[in-house]
Amino acid sequence: MNRTGRIFLAALAGAAVLLFPVVTTTPYYIHTVLMVFLFATMGLGWNLIGGYGAQLSLGHSTFFAIGAYSAVLLMVNYEISPLVGGIVGMVLACGAAVVIGLPCFRLRGPYFCLATIAAGEIARILFLHFQEFTGGANGVPLPFHGDDILTLQFSSKAPYYYLALGLLVAVFVLVRWMEKAKIGRYLAAIREDQDAAESLGVRTDRVKLIAYVLSAAITAAAGVLYAFTVGYIDPDGVASLNLSIEIAVVVIVGGIGTLWGPVLGATVVVLLTELTNMYLGSLRSGASLVLYGLLLIVVVVARPKGLISLFDRAPAASLPKQVGTRVHVA
Amino acid sequence: MDSTIILQTTLNGLMIGGVYALVAVGLTLIFGVMKIVNFAQGEFVMLGMYVSWALATFVGIGPYPGLLIVAVIMFVGGWLTFKLLIIRIIGKSDEAFILLTLGLSIFLQNITLLAFGADYLTVTTTVKDAAIRFGGLAISLPRLIAFGVALVMVAALTLFLNRTDTGRAMRATAESREVATLLGIDPVSCFAVAFGVGTVMAGIAGVLLTPMFYVYPGVGTLFNTTAFIVVVLGGMGSLTGALVGGLLIGIVEALGGTFVSLDLSQLFAFLIFLAVLFVRPSGLFGRSA
Amino acid sequence: MKLGSWLTSTAVVSAALGLAIAISQGAEKEVQIAFLNPLSGNNVDAGQQDLNAATLAIEDINKAGGIKALGGAVIKLVIVDTTSDPKNAASTAERVFSTQKVAGAVGTGISGLTLPILPVAEKSRIPIITNSVNDQITSLKYKYTFQVTPKGSQFGSTQVQFLKALNETYGLGIKDVAVVYENSGYGVSTASSIKEIAASAGLNLVLFEAYPHGFTDASSLVTKIKASGAKALFPVAYTTDAKLIINTMKQMDVSPVIIGGGAGFLWPVFAKEMGPAVNGFVSVASWNWDSKSISSVPELASITTRYEEKFGTFMTEHAGPTYVAVRMLAEAMEIAKSADPVKVREALSTFDNDKIGGFMQPGRVKIDGTGWNGAVHPVMIQWQDDKPRTVFPAMDAVRTFKR
Repeated sequence: MNRTGRIFLAALAGAAVLLFPVVTTTPYYIHTVLMVFLFATMGLGWNLIGGYGAQLSLGHSTFFAIGAYSAVLLMVNYEISPLVGGIVGMVLACGAAVVIGLPCFRLRGPYFCLATIAAGEIARILFLHFQEFTGGANGVPLPFHGDDILTLQFSSKAPYYYLALGLLVAVFVLVRWMEKAKIGRYLAAIREDQDAAESLGVRTDRVKLIAYVLSAAITAAAGVLYAFTVGYIDPDGVASLNLSIEIAVVVIVGGIGTLWGPVLGATVVVLLTELTNMYLGSLRSGASLVLYGLLLIVVVVARPKGLISLFDRAPAASLPKQVGTRVHVA
Repeated sequence: MDSTIILQTTLNGLMIGGVYALVAVGLTLIFGVMKIVNFAQGEFVMLGMYVSWALATFVGIGPYPGLLIVAVIMFVGGWLTFKLLIIRIIGKSDEAFILLTLGLSIFLQNITLLAFGADYLTVTTTVKDAAIRFGGLAISLPRLIAFGVALVMVAALTLFLNRTDTGRAMRATAESREVATLLGIDPVSCFAVAFGVGTVMAGIAGVLLTPMFYVYPGVGTLFNTTAFIVVVLGGMGSLTGALVGGLLIGIVEALGGTFVSLDLSQLFAFLIFLAVLFVRPSGLFGRSA
Repeated sequence: MKLGSWLTSTAVVSAALGLAIAISQGAEKEVQIAFLNPLSGNNVDAGQQDLNAATLAIEDINKAGGIKALGGAVIKLVIVDTTSDPKNAASTAERVFSTQKVAGAVGTGISGLTLPILPVAEKSRIPIITNSVNDQITSLKYKYTFQVTPKGSQFGSTQVQFLKALNETYGLGIKDVAVVYENSGYGVSTASSIKEIAASAGLNLVLFEAYPHGFTDASSLVTKIKASGAKALFPVAYTTDAKLIINTMKQMDVSPVIIGGGAGFLWPVFAKEMGPAVNGFVSVASWNWDSKSISSVPELASITTRYEEKFGTFMTEHAGPTYVAVRMLAEAMEIAKSADPVKVREALSTFDNDKIGGFMQPGRVKIDGTGWNGAVHPVMIQWQDDKPRTVFPAMDAVRTFKR
């Protein structure tokens, strides 16, 4: 396809996405595409550390929860606008990323992955434990007080849709820029061979930490939008291991370490969840998730490098190698 | 502080620690040989429970006498899973394994739900509320049995890995696939055995858990995170590590639960886990990279 | 090509979603009711009981001639699996409310899944009747939310009153009590209500402890109960946890008077687990199948009998209120003479009924200004002859408590 053709297609796609809430007024369709945007955003953020940096994190729901809880609690308890609360949440998430990242980046491969699971579970337990502050297991409902941009409350889905779209585009542009910038090259070097990168003078811990902190901030922003879109948060919903896993699955299905992978992955995973639930959810308990599980298996067996590889003409460029850790038995 | 309470709590910790070790042994074996984190291990435990339930309900063979039958069925299941699925992504990336085993875990949980329905099932045994009591202390009998079996399993597997040709081949594969291939060992068949045996371990754990827990599709997730941290704490691939790690986590949780706060007991386990990792990044019994 | 992929995926989104619209139109004389409950994931066991009850209610309504005010329109249940994930609960609610024409909705029985659904119902103007017990549900000032069950905070006071009655009747003189509860919305609200009134009831709280839902070892908990010297125990527990706690207490020979709270002591599987030893256990329940207002009215009693014949177990505390919720929606349509959700809501907001309302203790459903069935209160059950029987309060009791 030539350049003009591509630009034309891009414009068409852009227009379709922009006009979608105008064309359909059905809240569910808008909500579904909105969830695609949120997961694409989180996927792009996760990919910074999990894909480009090859440090598989399964604890990202912590940042999502920090974003969501900060904005919601500041508004419910202190009447501070979520536009401010959201930024507070992102900053706190960055802080948490430093606290978790600094020690965990000493760990390699699966050790890092499982340490992030532990850190995420610690966060969930703390959210549950400090009831006076977080509402504990009861969660925090957001009562609706009428449309207001300052409180991020809208009776229609469309404003959330455009906010999520805006966030997605911003994050996409940022990640695209980072791919080409110095940090992107450093991350690529770490992914290829961390020891070699270090010997070449790359301060790997610092590079990884920057990627991790950015990724946390992006996830927190998505958490803020989610909380106000849905209007209720609780620790088992927003700080769960399941959510962390879902974020990673989106990227892995789409194509890890690629720019379009998370976007494609979010589209496929969210729609797959909705469609299997829609058509099989009422048939018999479990039928929808049987199919969902099967499809994940088929995707990974048929396309271990993610669905994005379907669109590659040449074999995929450098993808993260298996992170080897020497382990002995007995 | 009352010394009986301290003693009782330590005993409690040891017993649940044995259960943790039991669940972790299969996971660490698979990890050690194949270098993959199996996110479907909890579902194999769950399947072991269902097989045990089916044997008790339809054939009338109780959990403990049926142990061997379950082991055989689980080996076949694990071996088939390997031949049908796992083998296709050997040599692929870490994340491919994560996605595959996650997909498998979702699939297994829900196919069980489809097949057996949502109701909780229970296996009636006389053992479930039995205990050994002495001097004001009590030891839960089903947990003591699980503890004993965990010890036996670790010992037997260690012997198997050290004294048999297959075992030695598996250890060589674990050390380095390339070197193993040079020595004429077929790594893939070693993987198959490791995965099969790992599944058997999960199944046996499931059988021993049936007196303690209801049988339902989600039961495997109860142990998921704990099993992971036990494996990493002990050093991935180390059987002794899984045992010591399980006991350590069990005791820490029990002490934290009794003397601080129960809803924080897991928090202490996670903190100990992180603390050990930061001092010894490869775990207690893991060889450093 | 990569942009092409984005375009393709966008096109797939629109096409797939568009396709779904077409299917939603119903026949002329058919009214749809949305049923939202978890049919997969951790809460599936509760969802299945709700589904059983809703199916039975629909059958009963249609067999009796449908909605008479609408020319005998039959009711159809639109079954929606909310899954056990709050995120999906919100989006499945969006789906059914914006793509299906429904007169109202019932669900869910799990507070954490109900709370994200309520704002969706409010914005879509669809009345929803829930059987969750969380206190927050009707405190949010939603106009389209109705709660048919007792609130979590009432459970604790019922348990305490029951113990007081035991103390008086049998001269037990129990003062030292322990409360252990699962760290969930349900557990927290029940336990804190016990804590609030314990002192005024002359009870001395010697242990107040939360444990994580789905824990794997109850021995630390039981060690604490033993050390506290409590003479009575209020455990608030779900299925798996209740099994652990009870078996561990037997192992450690700890035997205070147990006044259970929650599904763990109420569901059919508890009887299977305990065998004959189940008889004698007491627990608080949001509903029970043989409460006086039900068993004294043959039409109502026959509902529980048919449920048992059809599904193989007695009607559970999840099933009962769901059955009522479906019948309430049908009744509201009769009153409003319309299947328009806004009019159905109006009819529900002043709903006061002792016919089908008799299926909820104490024999009446009366919706108050907040949307809650303010007439309702929980009951105490005791397992007798392998079934839970209502033994307290006296107005609902059909059996006497046996020591």
